[in-house]
Amino acid sequence: MALSLSRVPFHRSLPQGTLICVRTYANSPPGQQSPFRIQNVKNTGTSKNKKAFSRKNRIGAFRSMTPSSLTVPVLQPSPNSSLSSVPSFKPELMTENMIGQVVAFSQTPNDPIKYFGTPKNMLLEFRLLSKRCSVIRNITVFTAEELDSAAAEPSHKTRYVLTGPSGCGKSFLLLQSVQYCLAKGWIVIYIPRAKTTVNSTTTHTYDLRTQTYLQPNYAQQTLRRILEVNSANLETLTLREGLNYDRRSFSSGTTLAQLASAGSKDAVISSVVLETLLNELSRQSKIPVLLAVDDFQAIYNQKTAYRDPHFSAIRPYHLAIPRFILEFASGKRSFPKGAILGALTAMDPAFPVTNELIDELNLPGLHPRSPYSKRSKILQEYARGLMNLPVPEEFSPREAASVFETWMRDNALSAPGNDELFLAKYTESAGNPKAFVWQGILGTLEGAAPVVNQNTPWPQLREGRIVVQ
Amino acid sequence: MVHILGINLPDNQLARFALTSIYGVGPHLSHRLCARFQIHDKCRVKDLTPLQTTSLASFLQSPKTALPLPQYPLAPVNFVARPPSKSIQELQAEFNAARTAQKQKREEKLLQLGQSPAEDAKGKTTTTRGRKALEKKSRDPLTELRIESELRREIRENIAHQRMIGSYVGRRHAMHLPVRGQRTQTNAKTARKLNNLDRW
Repeated sequence: MALSLSRVPFHRSLPQGTLICVRTYANSPPGQQSPFRIQNVKNTGTSKNKKAFSRKNRIGAFRSMTPSSLTVPVLQPSPNSSLSSVPSFKPELMTENMIGQVVAFSQTPNDPIKYFGTPKNMLLEFRLLSKRCSVIRNITVFTAEELDSAAAEPSHKTRYVLTGPSGCGKSFLLLQSVQYCLAKGWIVIYIPRAKTTVNSTTTHTYDLRTQTYLQPNYAQQTLRRILEVNSANLETLTLREGLNYDRRSFSSGTTLAQLASAGSKDAVISSVVLETLLNELSRQSKIPVLLAVDDFQAIYNQKTAYRDPHFSAIRPYHLAIPRFILEFASGKRSFPKGAILGALTAMDPAFPVTNELIDELNLPGLHPRSPYSKRSKILQEYARGLMNLPVPEEFSPREAASVFETWMRDNALSAPGNDELFLAKYTESAGNPKAFVWQGILGTLEGAAPVVNQNTPWPQLREGRIVVQ
Repeated sequence: MVHILGINLPDNQLARFALTSIYGVGPHLSHRLCARFQIHDKCRVKDLTPLQTTSLASFLQSPKTALPLPQYPLAPVNFVARPPSKSIQELQAEFNAARTAQKQKREEKLLQLGQSPAEDAKGKTTTTRGRKALEKKSRDPLTELRIESELRREIRENIAHQRMIGSYVGRRHAMHLPVRGQRTQTNAKTARKLNNLDRW
């Protein structure tokens, strides 16, 4: 039956706001009903037609339910949970003989993972595992030793940037450093997704006093997070000089916790409060301070997604939050005791690693560079003195084995968990941590690989069959 | 629900997208408008402050009468800010005073060189080589923004002008036929429906 489009008479003068859509697909043979129904769809201007894929009707994937809604007995956490024997993360475990041991981040009242958040990939991984685990590597022990020596020195002497190829464990190492410093009694400021400060997702307003664009909502959130995680330490520190701003006044002697609390409730004063808090932390030498920033390269990109009123791109050093990160990272401002740690995101096309960082950290760039390539003098100045801390790009077999065992005990493997499978996945991923977990271990969810029957006489006719064991 | 120029902007829409529902404002102009009033890309209409809404509405009412945007200074590398106790009004007054002083100084310098400041304001100056520079056209499309009824009037006037001078384009509009050389043996349905002398 030949397919033909039949002509339908079209009404010339239509009342405004109506749209008539008529389609026919094929002419049916005479005497028979048309195999395709002719559809008349009328949409008025103010349609209440629910779109099938609208945000309201879509069910998101992999959203974990709240613990209170897990009423079925099977979903209750059993007392003999599979990962109950995994030790909790403690600073005392950062020793040479603990390399290759998997540790879990326990849920404390000031849990930094809950309040500061984590990068997206890490968040998804923590949702899948029963406990939030990570493995201690030799680089973890080295970083812990460096942080121990940084506890007595100003922060401008310890400014590390964690570098390495995609998926080698930079963000995880940064999180381990944050947990280590917090457990050791430091004040910790962790910014897990620094690109949210430069990708035009928060409010910005020009301020004539600082001659920069303030980000009041982001400052408010940051103050709330710093307060929740470091409330005990902030209670012991006080303001040296009084602060008067916008009909609010804080006398000298006010604790930094009270100051942060006031700033976290009011977006109008939050930027000034954050600035004062950082100034006070830069003057006190009682408690070391760690500033940890993931997506570090995002603030070194010459143009942010923000636009000024004249429509030219705003530079990162003209935005309040990226400016303070840049000032601490460059050593222009410093904590009397503490360290600055940044972690690059290797594969982010919107915010690539810039020439200034590549030059300073001696990284192998993706594109060929010459002395004539574009570099910003200001960003070069902000990058001066940063030290490269390369993260090993592959797991050692011992570390990989611990990770494999942890996922196996948590019933993540759909194939039998034997040495063959482990070595196969380790080889396929070349030891790359992210590939090992996501494509290797979680790739077994696709099922076992088909087994080829070697007995058939003609090789081209051999089929692979999935053998269920 | 925010009303701008009689158009209702839904609360949950992104402001940058919602502004395109104004006739004459497309994605680029909407981006420029948001930049002018410091509305970030992911701002929803419900998150707009009253100040932003009123300044947007008053700007769109009459774009030509809007005040020119001043160039506010941006902090250099080793800038140290004044203490927060100094009020914003004092700082603004200082800034305005500095700006007027700068302008006066420039005018005095021009007078010394023998050029009147009024000429310089138009942009028509002679260079040192004696050639006249072309009149500088503003690169900001918001200064020549035309929306809603003004834009419709402009389109109507353009079509009327084409008819008045007796051009081909005018004749085609009058005959309800395609104007830009499309085929008419088949497929001129939209032109037959919409092309008109009093289109808007």
